[in-house]
Amino acid sequence: MKRRAWIFGAAFAIYAVLLSVAWVVGTRQAREKTERQLDYAVGDMRISLNGVIDTMLEHLASIAVHHFKKPAVYSMEEVAAVAEAFDIDEINVVDREGRIIATNDRDCLGVDMKVKAVTRPFVELTNGVTRVVSQPFRRHAYGTSRRKYLGVPFPDGNGYVQVGLDESRMDRMISSQLAFLFDPQVGETLCYLCADMKTGALVSAHFEDGMAKTLDEIGFDASKSPGAGKPLPEERVVETEKTFVQTLHGRPVFCRDFVFGGHRFIIVEPKAEFFGTRDIILATMALLLLVVLGTFAFFVDRVFRDADCLKRFYAAEEERRARDMNIAKTVQNAALPATLPESPFYGIYASMQAAKDVGGDFYDYFNLDATHVAFLVADVSGKGITAALYMMTAKTIIKDTLLASEDPAAALTKANAELCARNPANMFLSVWVGVLDLETGVVTYANAGHNPPVVIKDSTRFVTGRSGPVLAFMDGVSYKPMSLALSPGDALFLYTDGVTEALDSKNELFGENRLTDALNTVASLGPHSICMVVRAAVAAFSEGVPQADDITVLAVRYVARPKVLVRSFPPTQAGISAASDFLDEVLADIGTLALSPLHIILDEVCSNIVKHSDATVFELDISSNGGETTLTFVDDGSPYDPLSHEDPDTSLPAGERPIGGLGIMMVKKLASSVAYRRTHNRNFFIVKRSS
Amino acid sequence: MKIERELDGARLVLKVEGRLDTNTSPDLEAELKLDGVKELVFDFAELEYISSAGLRVLMIAQKAMMAAGGSMSVSSPNAGVKNVFDITGLSSVFTIM
Repeated sequence: MKRRAWIFGAAFAIYAVLLSVAWVVGTRQAREKTERQLDYAVGDMRISLNGVIDTMLEHLASIAVHHFKKPAVYSMEEVAAVAEAFDIDEINVVDREGRIIATNDRDCLGVDMKVKAVTRPFVELTNGVTRVVSQPFRRHAYGTSRRKYLGVPFPDGNGYVQVGLDESRMDRMISSQLAFLFDPQVGETLCYLCADMKTGALVSAHFEDGMAKTLDEIGFDASKSPGAGKPLPEERVVETEKTFVQTLHGRPVFCRDFVFGGHRFIIVEPKAEFFGTRDIILATMALLLLVVLGTFAFFVDRVFRDADCLKRFYAAEEERRARDMNIAKTVQNAALPATLPESPFYGIYASMQAAKDVGGDFYDYFNLDATHVAFLVADVSGKGITAALYMMTAKTIIKDTLLASEDPAAALTKANAELCARNPANMFLSVWVGVLDLETGVVTYANAGHNPPVVIKDSTRFVTGRSGPVLAFMDGVSYKPMSLALSPGDALFLYTDGVTEALDSKNELFGENRLTDALNTVASLGPHSICMVVRAAVAAFSEGVPQADDITVLAVRYVARPKVLVRSFPPTQAGISAASDFLDEVLADIGTLALSPLHIILDEVCSNIVKHSDATVFELDISSNGGETTLTFVDDGSPYDPLSHEDPDTSLPAGERPIGGLGIMMVKKLASSVAYRRTHNRNFFIVKRSS
Repeated sequence: MKIERELDGARLVLKVEGRLDTNTSPDLEAELKLDGVKELVFDFAELEYISSAGLRVLMIAQKAMMAAGGSMSVSSPNAGVKNVFDITGLSSVFTIM
């Protein structure tokens, strides 16, 4: 919204600037055109006035020639009589030598016109020139009046007559001649005004208002006129500075004026005429610009809005991708074992730091039975969703096969076959999987192309044994079983190449030496601390460098051999009693109340074996890891799964109650888990109870 | 297991100490000589636990007392024993005091 205001604001500013420039240019041009018009008008008026005066002088000169006929000496009285009769101020009769031989002005008699420059042109009248005019009214040599002369030759060419008129006579002449002087209206807009200087009375055709009689009445202010009192300009000159503004009949007008013969001549040009044109151009421009700039601003705004739309779309897309990745990450994390086993006999901890949202590494650990712990670390080739999905598949297959066989090498062999059978993306993975026998401390393991784990005893050592190539790489591979021995207190550290191939800012690898250096400091630390030490070492090493690969670490510490005791009993009532005594013996340190349910379980399961199987012997394995006690009953009788029976209906009234079947139901209810397995021609019935 | 037998007219109290399981329940069953008994009480105050074999004996006794028009009750079982009655649905069958 703010940006849209900016766009339209900027468009409006451009609009305002362009219009202002157009207004200034338009005004100047209109003004120049007006001045030019006024220049022409003044020139025209000058020509008209001079023409009228010259015509009049020529007429008077012709009268004088007609009267005197030829150049001769006439008396001053006779010349004065003619001058007075025709209102002529000065008459000079000149001989062919250019000498004034007769005149009504005593001072001029005998003057040689060849002498002065101003009179010399008239002498040409004796050389065939028919008319000579002194253009301006000029001050008379012997008086105060301003006078203009015109000469014409006598018919015989031996002399000429020069007549002169005073400017003061023009007053009357103008009043009588004005109607013939010029049309007061010139073209459509320009007009002339003429008014008596003294009274202000308009003598020209009236300006627009026929009723107005004086300049005052139409609103003319003489004080504004810069040309007031000046004589008629002789030459046509540009006189822009003389233009002034008046308000006539309430309308603003441009004016030029001059004074001649007691009259003020005013050329009037209404402002609106020229500025009207400018205003029409401006209005058209304003409209066009409004449309153009408006459209432009609209499209600019549109472009920005489209860009916004795209940005939002990409943001939403990115968010959706992030959400998907988050879900994938959650699913992946959920697949990793969430709870740490609580056992006084071993400890285990693992962590995975994915380089991207989801990683290709994984780890797993789980109990195979009371005395066997499986753990593994794997690295799927590639990263992202594909690797994560493949990881889930691989993890499930490996766990399933391990649970079935308890042999890491067999598990990898089977997993390899299955993974090869469904590997459309041609992925592969390295795995190190081990099974720790808590009773013996022996770790049986298989290594499918994975980094060698580190055994942490008094010193550290890499477990370099390889069982075969990476998983899912080659069908039909059989992985070789291997083993190593741990003593209570020893630890085993597993990792992926994200640890050893972590880079520092100098592009150097973390390497196996730094890993063993770090592990040499963990001494008797717990698995969690071991992992943290390594992770901290890697983090410190590659500080400031983005993590390129998933970093997975897993540590197992073998703490102590568990109390696991196995004893065989005959399948008789005495055998059950002996088994019950054995339970007391093994679990002497556990309170009576906690023991009673175990006794009930033992009593029920053993009496079942005695009654229903034709076993020759049965075994009881008792193991306890502190929180949980596991009773494993093994017999060599015929296959019999006690769990296959339905529980008896305990809602029946006392009289209808079947007496049998309660035993197994009680076992199920008292145990935290029960399981039946048949292997090696033996029945395994495993009952766990948490205290 | 130790069984104390107290017969007071038509009232028989069987005090059971220790464990009542497959091994010991035949002994208790042997004590169920109920001729003339109208009220049978199992005193379980000193009973450690009871397995389904023991429950079987109790159910046999219950049926016998019902047939004879008498009554049977279980007295002062510990929490473990009471739990066994609960999970087998026998709490509602036996009169537990």
